[in-house]
Amino acid sequence: MQVIFPLLIPLLTAILGLLAIRSSAGRRLFFAASAGGQLLFSLWLLASVFSSGSQVMYLGGWSAPYGIVLVADPIAAIMVVLVCLTAFSCILYGFQETSIRNEHPLRLPLIQFLVLGLNLSFLTGDLFNLFVAFEVMLLASYALLTLEADDWDVRQAFPYLAINLFGSAFLIALCAFAYGLFGTLNFAHIAVRAQEMSGEPLLVAFGMLAMLVFGIKAGLFPLYYWLPNAYPIMPIALAALFGGMLTKVGVYVLLRLFGTILPHDMDLLYVVLAWLSAATMFFGVLGAASRPYIRGILSFHILSQVGFMMLAITFMTPFAFAAAILYMAHNIIVKSGLFLVGGAVMVLNRTDKLENTGNLWVRTPVLGVGFLLLALSLAGIPPLSGFWGKYMIIVAGFTAGEYVLVAIAIVTGLLTLFSMLKIWMGSFWQSKESVPVVTSDRRWIPMTVIVGGLTVISLIIGLLPEFFIQMAMTAAEGLLDKDAYIRLVLGDLP
Amino acid sequence: MFLVSSLLAGILFGVSTYLILQGSFVRILFGFILIANAANLVFLAMIGDPRGRAAPVLAANEGLPMTDPLPQALILTAIVIGFAVSAYFLFLLYRIFLDWKTTDAVDLFKKSKPTDV
Repeated sequence: MQVIFPLLIPLLTAILGLLAIRSSAGRRLFFAASAGGQLLFSLWLLASVFSSGSQVMYLGGWSAPYGIVLVADPIAAIMVVLVCLTAFSCILYGFQETSIRNEHPLRLPLIQFLVLGLNLSFLTGDLFNLFVAFEVMLLASYALLTLEADDWDVRQAFPYLAINLFGSAFLIALCAFAYGLFGTLNFAHIAVRAQEMSGEPLLVAFGMLAMLVFGIKAGLFPLYYWLPNAYPIMPIALAALFGGMLTKVGVYVLLRLFGTILPHDMDLLYVVLAWLSAATMFFGVLGAASRPYIRGILSFHILSQVGFMMLAITFMTPFAFAAAILYMAHNIIVKSGLFLVGGAVMVLNRTDKLENTGNLWVRTPVLGVGFLLLALSLAGIPPLSGFWGKYMIIVAGFTAGEYVLVAIAIVTGLLTLFSMLKIWMGSFWQSKESVPVVTSDRRWIPMTVIVGGLTVISLIIGLLPEFFIQMAMTAAEGLLDKDAYIRLVLGDLP
Repeated sequence: MFLVSSLLAGILFGVSTYLILQGSFVRILFGFILIANAANLVFLAMIGDPRGRAAPVLAANEGLPMTDPLPQALILTAIVIGFAVSAYFLFLLYRIFLDWKTTDAVDLFKKSKPTDV
């Protein structure tokens, strides 16, 4: 029963907020309260999933393979918590960034629709329902992307829309193939049927198509060009939400698909995905090094880190899956935090072009410490949160004997550190006579507090890794244990 | 039947990809409308051959095997979603036209922002 609430609350909040609330101050209060409530609720769901087992809900009372099911297993619950956390901090941050008179009245309802789409894609146990969830999420993201973009930047929405429309058409085709191949769209039922077909080449073709579809959504090489140009046109609060969450849906679906749904013997698929993800991480980080402004660097880094997660998926062991999950959780928090630091820099220096920023370490050391902790964590310096995920991925790579891939991952880590240092030198460390620091603009103080909150969460993950690694292991074992998932959803059906 | 509809879907996918790769906004828009329908056709093909099968209504059935109604329900959902997205896409293209005074995608990305000049 708890499963429905992460969907119901954002939906009702968005509709009520659109219909019933007229004043902008009232709207802010209402949406912030709702987002905070969702965070608490998702934590409760997580706690009950971990203490008393996964939950299943049969929508409309239709039993499993016939109706739509919602499944909250450990990984889904973790992702829902991360969505609510990022959405909550980005909503609060948006209040600081945009003054109440400049805020578009549709922004907050659209964020709630986005959260609804994200939560549904994590909780659903049905392939076509996943398509619907993606469309809810994408429509909200199209609207948010162009809502406050200026007249010249709006052209960047065109490639974003085009590639996602293309991906959506193939997602429908993927659903059709699944229906034709397996005669069902329920994840658990597909898993049963796919196991019987194990070894057939058609399954590999199905997996390849899935990799194309969700690779587009996740920003896999060579399908990523739409991302790094589109995200910087949004206000920082939205860019942080998009950068933190949207690509991770693609990664999550691939985890679910390769772990739970398809048989575990599709080596060709894993090899292709492994090399694509190595290319993604490498070219992503090179792209980041080429960009002269903070939002551009961070947008390219999203790709590079998606590559890390995908690489971990291809090793197909519980340990590697746990590494991917831990890394994804860390990355969502840290990436959003870094975008938010970028926003504070934009407030203080009036720009985020590196050549026109500076002096921040002297004037706002607290923000500097926050940035340094987040950036070093992103680069994977021990004992910060990014280190554990990366370390586990590299160990998994050595165990699998993939030395070349591991070498690429390590080089990428070094380049990540390099481009983070570029921001550090450009914006914080260097003193430039000509660059003003507008500390009289008080918005940077609450912004720094929000960044600090995310930094503290990242530090907790880094300093108490055992607890979180344990959680990730549980989630990974849940993902890879097909039989448990099938029993959970279908009961004792054959 | 299956072969015919697969071929048709393949041709539609090819034609729409060709249209999407053109420069003109209108052709790109038509390409995307067409590709959504091509995907829907793939779904419809999964029913198999409907000849010699009864409508999936239990009362009117005379013992014949029934057609599968599920893909049609799913296609209907996909059409509705595709319609909403196409409407949004059309409007986005119109807004880009108003701002940049061009209806050509190649031209659009060749121009530079007035502030950069």
